[in-house]
Amino acid sequence: MTRTALAAALLASAAVPAAAQDGPLTVAMHYTQEQAAPLIACLEGYDADGVTAAYQQISYGDYLQTVLTGRLAGQSPDVYNVYSIWAAQMTDNGVLAEPPQDVADFVRDGYAAGTVDAATIDGTLWGVPTEVSVYMLVSNMALLREAGFEAPPETWDELREMARAITTRNDQGRIETAGFAFAQSAAGMVHPFYALLYSEGGDVYADDRSEAMLEGEAARTALENMAGLVEDGSADLSVDAYDFPAGGIAMMIMANWYESAIAEGLGGLEDVAVTHIPMGEDWRTLQYAFFMGVDAQSERQDAAWALVRHLNEPRDGGPSCMGEMLDGLGALTASAADTAALPAPDDFTAPFVAALEDGRAITQPNVMQASEIEGMMAQTFEEVVSGEAEAGPALEELDGEVEDILFEFY
Amino acid sequence: MTRQAGGDEPPGAPRAAPWLFLLPLILFAAVFLALPLGFSVYLSFTRWNPLGTPDWVGLRQFEYLLTRDDDFRATLLNTFVFAFGFVAAGVPISLGLAFVFSRSRGKAIWRSIYFLPQLTNIVAIAYLWQFVLDDRYGLVNRLLGLLGLRGPDWLFDPVMAMVSVVMVMVWMEAGKNMLVFSAALEAVDGEIYDAATLDGAGAWRTLRSITLPIIRPAFTFVTITSFISGMGTFALILAMTEGGPRGATEVTALYTYTMAFEDLRMGRASAGALILFTIIGILSIVQFRLLRDRA
Repeated sequence: MTRTALAAALLASAAVPAAAQDGPLTVAMHYTQEQAAPLIACLEGYDADGVTAAYQQISYGDYLQTVLTGRLAGQSPDVYNVYSIWAAQMTDNGVLAEPPQDVADFVRDGYAAGTVDAATIDGTLWGVPTEVSVYMLVSNMALLREAGFEAPPETWDELREMARAITTRNDQGRIETAGFAFAQSAAGMVHPFYALLYSEGGDVYADDRSEAMLEGEAARTALENMAGLVEDGSADLSVDAYDFPAGGIAMMIMANWYESAIAEGLGGLEDVAVTHIPMGEDWRTLQYAFFMGVDAQSERQDAAWALVRHLNEPRDGGPSCMGEMLDGLGALTASAADTAALPAPDDFTAPFVAALEDGRAITQPNVMQASEIEGMMAQTFEEVVSGEAEAGPALEELDGEVEDILFEFY
Repeated sequence: MTRQAGGDEPPGAPRAAPWLFLLPLILFAAVFLALPLGFSVYLSFTRWNPLGTPDWVGLRQFEYLLTRDDDFRATLLNTFVFAFGFVAAGVPISLGLAFVFSRSRGKAIWRSIYFLPQLTNIVAIAYLWQFVLDDRYGLVNRLLGLLGLRGPDWLFDPVMAMVSVVMVMVWMEAGKNMLVFSAALEAVDGEIYDAATLDGAGAWRTLRSITLPIIRPAFTFVTITSFISGMGTFALILAMTEGGPRGATEVTALYTYTMAFEDLRMGRASAGALILFTIIGILSIVQFRLLRDRA
């Protein structure tokens, strides 16, 4: 009896690794189960010659750390949904596998070029772009009209003039209605800066990533434009752009994914206008993207790439599983097939889509230590915007600090 | 004169018995203390992001932090300001509360109420105080607004943000330290106070010449433990200000956390943690000796 039990236990323990190897392919994403419901339905129905798939949710804030810890423990998912600024470090350390030629062709033929850049490091494509976010000027038209303006600004000078006219303060001198607001996060300062910098014709890094370009005229002008709003008294750092849905903020530079929160807060989008970055005719903006990549340690890379392609390919004239999910979230896709298969975007989303299609949206640069660098940028920008530092010297110092980091890797 | 082996032990007692009893504790300490600490010390001499393998760089991480990283030095200064602020405000307040409640009715209830923050989740505390101190919508500034006063920018002014996090830390820890002082105060023999009163000593003289010298061990304990916890604080600040505004409340523990888990610089973060550990160790020894000598 004892011997039988022991034999059964040994057989069971021997079966565990086999089961893990033959188990479902895991797809690790940051979306909640509710958000990812259409994708999860596709995963649950997936069966390619016995290979099945399962969803693994990892919260956005913990994504990279969880992936790293999992790899240390030898428990990596097969498929990642990678935020493009993590990609340089992941590829540099051999975490991601290169896609096969058919997947690379599928991406290059079917996706907006600017977004393909988000999944490309040093000329090598590493996956299939999924969610794309673009920044545009979002205006509360009720507040603009109240101050006598019938249309959002076309230029930064107009924006400053409107913001000044709209801003009101209470008896204690605190802003009650803000003409403009920055979001209280590192991205809340850095992403609008990128949009203004690109509109000025500037760039963040040299093409070979060996030097930063933050001490140039374009960067200084972009930052001074941001700081000017606080100097005018039309914005301050205690007013958070994420409070836009509460109705007390007239304008902000924000990504498309905030649509549902705005609609919920304002009770609809009738009084909301989305327009281009008000930097004249040559305006540009920022886009960032996620992409699906495959773990280099996955023992079933071919099957994993087949799954990635399955999730992103249109289905019988309808959108892909990923496209359907993103549409449900109000998020953007850079897939031409999905864009054609999905209903026409609403008035809020259409300008974001147009910015992508017109090539106005420039990809957030993929460099090593991008998150660390953007944290440093945010702190410097806050110092300048709050009036604690001058744009020129602060950017020169920042440029040096960023180049110290670049020097480690390029 | 050679002592006979096993002379004091009962016959047949295994010499390994004490070690066997200690084994669980030794194993626990080895796995959860020595191993991580040793690994951290090793990492501080390497350059490592957890995606790859550690590269040995000798003392370069320490050299960088101590000679080239202005932000690291700024966080050390913030750490000292926070810890000294916490001790300077927290210890007298805890002592004062203990003093007041030792003479009040329902002291057990009062002590329980003041101890409640210790039972509350630190993130909940941070969010609660964010609501109270928010510059625009916070309770404090709203109330001041009703009086026609403009409240400070509690969380967006660099100086006031440091004051705010120290204040919340004092509020959070006051109950715990008060209990230590209360126990010490209640251990003072009442006859000594009677004798002092007969000799004509007033309240201030009694406090200065009798109470404080007698409770000095408790005072030493609270001061040193408060200082150590102040130097190592990070969760409250992470949840309340994330080190902002503009790095004004970024303490070294928070800076090393960011380096390790956001910037993926495990080697440098380990070196920063070791530097902080050494500073806390040295200052605690100095503080302990000073307070003990004066006692």
